[in-house]
Amino acid sequence: MSAFSDSLKKYIGMKSETEIACDPVEQGAVRRYAQAIMYEDPIFAKACENNERYGGPVAPPLFPTHLFRRPLGTEDPIQANARNPDFDGIVAATSSQGLPNIEPLNGYALLNGGSEIEFFRYALRGESVKLVSHYADIIEKETSKGPIVLVVTESEYRTGEGELLIRTRRTQIRRK
Amino acid sequence: MALGKTPYFEDVAVGLELPGLEKGPLTTAHLMRWSAAMENWHKIHYDKPFAIEHDKLPGLLINGSLKQQFVMQLIADWAGPQGWPWKASFQFRAMNLVEETVRVWGRVTGKREAPDFGLIDIELGIINDAGKESTPGTAVVALPYKSGKPVPYPFVPPNL
Repeated sequence: MSAFSDSLKKYIGMKSETEIACDPVEQGAVRRYAQAIMYEDPIFAKACENNERYGGPVAPPLFPTHLFRRPLGTEDPIQANARNPDFDGIVAATSSQGLPNIEPLNGYALLNGGSEIEFFRYALRGESVKLVSHYADIIEKETSKGPIVLVVTESEYRTGEGELLIRTRRTQIRRK
Repeated sequence: MALGKTPYFEDVAVGLELPGLEKGPLTTAHLMRWSAAMENWHKIHYDKPFAIEHDKLPGLLINGSLKQQFVMQLIADWAGPQGWPWKASFQFRAMNLVEETVRVWGRVTGKREAPDFGLIDIELGIINDAGKESTPGTAVVALPYKSGKPVPYPFVPPNL
């Protein structure tokens, strides 16, 4: 096994702390999100018959998975990398799922490889969301386009009260 | 409460095609709006020189994170207010480039009975204008029985 492989393996099983999204589920954020995904179901806008059993206006199904943003007062990676030609624009606070950066993959491009999603409950307006993740697997593969590394992350999103919202298992493709 | 547009488990046949979704053409404005909504700014979705010269991609890519929203919409809309879009699984096998129109499709492949509701197995995917499949996947939707109650909410997976 190579030193590179060894350096990756130590991340498998690594867990995040419980992270609480810096903002609760807000009406304006839900509106922008629903408009951006072009899914303007009335259940996201106001109390209606179709969201009665959910308890009122809800956020789109995957909204909680995108609620982890950079809090005020933390370093601005866009400004910090304004002169870095290799900066890919990814904001770690919104994409890391609370997990540490995999240092051996610095400089590797990132593509979304796919997901497995289990959906249990909508997030309601005003609720907070918390997240726990771990690296489930890291796999090196040879492809026709060269070597790649698959990083598999499992995450659980819960309300601030602990109710399970969503489980995800995501695969990121990293390549030179 | 009325069942609304949720289909009953008994009325769904294997082979049934779900009502498809069409999104697009998806322009850089769409992709920027999505980046702003989720507050992430991966350049491969809006900075063409970076995408092509730095990351060696064929052009600006439609976000996988956006395409997965379309998959969830397909199954949530079909499940309706008394059903439940329990699971979705998909792989981004091919790239979709900016300016493409994508069509999300689904087809019933199986049915399973649980004590309080039924489960519908679905094959799904996303094709572009040229008919190329980029996002093959599967889903499981829970639907009520005609003689039963709405699918429980919050959803509790059955023991099968």
